[in-house]
Amino acid sequence: MSLVVESVAKSFDRFAALNGVSLAVPKGAFLALLGPSGSGKTTLLRILGGLEFADMGRVQFEGEEWLSLPARERRAGFVFQHYALFRHMTVAKNIAFGLEVRPRAKRPPRAEIDRRVAELLSLVQLDGLGQRYPSQLSGGQRQRVALARALAIEPRLLLLDEPFGALDAKVRKDLRVWLRKLHDATGITTIFVTHDQEEALALADLVAVMNQGRIEQIATPEELRAAPATDFVAEFLADQRVRPTPLAANVVALR
Amino acid sequence: MLQPRNAIEDPRFFRIVAVIIAALFIALNLLLPLLVVFSEALSSGLHAALVALKEPDARSAIRLTLIVAAITVPANVIFGLAASWAITKFDFWGKSFLVTLIDIPFSVSPVISGLIYVLMFGMQGWLGPWLRDHDIKIIFALPGIVLATIFVTFPFVARELIPLMSDQSRDEEEAAVSLGASGFSTFWRVTLPNIKWGLLYGVLLCNARAMGEFGAVSVVSGHIRGLTDTMPLHVEVLYNDYQYVGAFAVASLLALLALITLLVKSFLEWRYADEIAATHRH
Amino acid sequence: MSSIAGSSRIAFRKPSALPGFLPTFAFTIFYLSTVVLIPLAALVIRPWSLGFDGFIAAVTTPRVLAALELSFGAAATAAIINTVFGFIVAWVLVRYRFPFKRLIDALVDLPFALPTAVAGIALATLYSQKGWIGGALAPWDIKIAYTPLGVIVALTFIGLPFVVRTLQPVLADMGPQAEEAAATLGATRLQTFVRVVLPALTPALLTGAAMAFARAVGEYGSVIFIAGNLPMVSEIAPLLIVIKLEQFDYAGAAAVGLTMLAASFLILLALNALQGYLSTRR
Repeated sequence: MSLVVESVAKSFDRFAALNGVSLAVPKGAFLALLGPSGSGKTTLLRILGGLEFADMGRVQFEGEEWLSLPARERRAGFVFQHYALFRHMTVAKNIAFGLEVRPRAKRPPRAEIDRRVAELLSLVQLDGLGQRYPSQLSGGQRQRVALARALAIEPRLLLLDEPFGALDAKVRKDLRVWLRKLHDATGITTIFVTHDQEEALALADLVAVMNQGRIEQIATPEELRAAPATDFVAEFLADQRVRPTPLAANVVALR
Repeated sequence: MLQPRNAIEDPRFFRIVAVIIAALFIALNLLLPLLVVFSEALSSGLHAALVALKEPDARSAIRLTLIVAAITVPANVIFGLAASWAITKFDFWGKSFLVTLIDIPFSVSPVISGLIYVLMFGMQGWLGPWLRDHDIKIIFALPGIVLATIFVTFPFVARELIPLMSDQSRDEEEAAVSLGASGFSTFWRVTLPNIKWGLLYGVLLCNARAMGEFGAVSVVSGHIRGLTDTMPLHVEVLYNDYQYVGAFAVASLLALLALITLLVKSFLEWRYADEIAATHRH
Repeated sequence: MSSIAGSSRIAFRKPSALPGFLPTFAFTIFYLSTVVLIPLAALVIRPWSLGFDGFIAAVTTPRVLAALELSFGAAATAAIINTVFGFIVAWVLVRYRFPFKRLIDALVDLPFALPTAVAGIALATLYSQKGWIGGALAPWDIKIAYTPLGVIVALTFIGLPFVVRTLQPVLADMGPQAEEAAATLGATRLQTFVRVVLPALTPALLTGAAMAFARAVGEYGSVIFIAGNLPMVSEIAPLLIVIKLEQFDYAGAAAVGLTMLAASFLILLALNALQGYLSTRR
């Protein structure tokens, strides 16, 4: 188990966003945090990314005490729902950012940085767009830049906060397929927050269904469909239990 | 004390230093001059300050200032309302040019604002000889002062209203018209309530500036004591005469006006924040 | 109803269901023309009565050049000071919480609301040899009042709100996301500030600085008391205009005024273009 979360709790003023959450994720797995708004899934993700601080609990990642590490030292790539691209920088500069801010000792030479940026642009199928600015790209393209930027730092953990939430349905479906392929190719432990059951069940190896700051059930998509542990899970996944649509079987190229 | 914001907080030391620098700069630059005004006015005691204010020239100055404001502000309100109605409820060629024109007084030195009226109506101005022949006084008299003050302050109301009314869609007015309301009735019953806070701000700022204008009025007024000295000009006259208590006493009145303006503005922003936000989001 | 009348003007404006365009537009144009445009025309035309060579000669005398240099130079210096400190003030007001924050926020508007003559005599007194600050600096033989330094101090006073009020909404709207992204990518707070925050704020900073500069160039009331007004040394351009008017040299006064306007206009145009260039990529 490379990621172990133990009884993490977090409150904002008097609102308990997380009520003692525990889970374990094997290395290289794709975990979806699924739930309605207010369930605490984004809070948990942000705690894992170092953008929020837990009130209680413990997290271990690959043996390290994760919560005592500041965000900048975690090498946890974070992809935001609204991309959070640096608008005054080109696509190439955005992607190179994580490499350029490294301390001199650890910084790769210029040529190496450029090479990696080109590689990543290829990987996310945005070749030749390196000199554009984010304002000149479509939503789907921007999200791919955001992903490339997060991947540039060779993250140990990839955290995605409803990354397709701001995109329209068709783009979302295409990117979903593409993300899964990416994950299979890179093997990075990935945690993905969404409120869309179809998306979660199609994409993930493991799904943690959350509600009001607690995990109701954590299991593979098949187990969730076949044997929902609580009423909430059963209701939440109601329309997904009829027609399973696993993604591994589809291979769709991204235009 | 200095509350952090989760993961991207600035280091504590930096926060403390930044706040101290900001506070010192404000105190030095803004607070001290304000305190000096009151301190100097009261340097010979409250009684002396009040006596200075009751002096006939001071009283005429106060009266003149009030008269000028009483003419200027309503005129500029009417202009502001007309201009923003024309600009925000209709689309026409040259609209943004018109808006730029309205902004002109803001980028012009107050002295130049007065200069242009002297060039028009002064002794050697375009209309100078004609005015002299008909014994009409504009420069060195009330009309000139009013004109110069209008020039300097007329953008205030318009500038408050134009972005506000641009933000609001025309739907409500169009609905009123479709229900049979006349233009004026639509304006009075539908538009006005939506812009009342913006209008009030604009009036406050316009008034404060109208009463406090110095440079433009100085050029057109001729400094005839007791006749064409507004309060700010009277402050200058007294100060140059070394009558510091008098100068600062009148200045204190103006400073009080400024403080009241700021206070009312802050209070309105605090108390009606929701309403103001709502009118901005139509 | 009256909407039918609009159709004859389709080329000029789009027809609209709302009434009242003609009266409001006509009134707006009338008001603008009489109050602003025609007097400004006088300013543009008058200097040429000296003939082209006369105009150039009038504005290139050593005294005029020195005054222009002082006005523009001090305004630029003050704008730079205000950019630095205004940034700090806006930053702490938007991002930190500390005691008296409300008070400081309200004080920032003081130069907007306070009449310039009041500020003028207050600053002159404060920085004079016997003033609170001037007196404190006297032992080190530092003179502020009646020197160009005093001019810079006064222009800093009046320019601060422009920078702070322009920056505040932009900072407030910025949101933490870009900085959070930078943190997850391994940047330190300092790197984030230099590479992410500052570039994002540069357009707003430029705008604020430009506005502060424009206001400072023409400033009169706040400056003439503290300036010393010695020709060639501490005489500002607006004062020169007033002096020429008093000598009935209308054309000369207009020439200096027109030159000031033209120079400011060009500088602002350049700054606007720079800002436009920076913004097209966002």
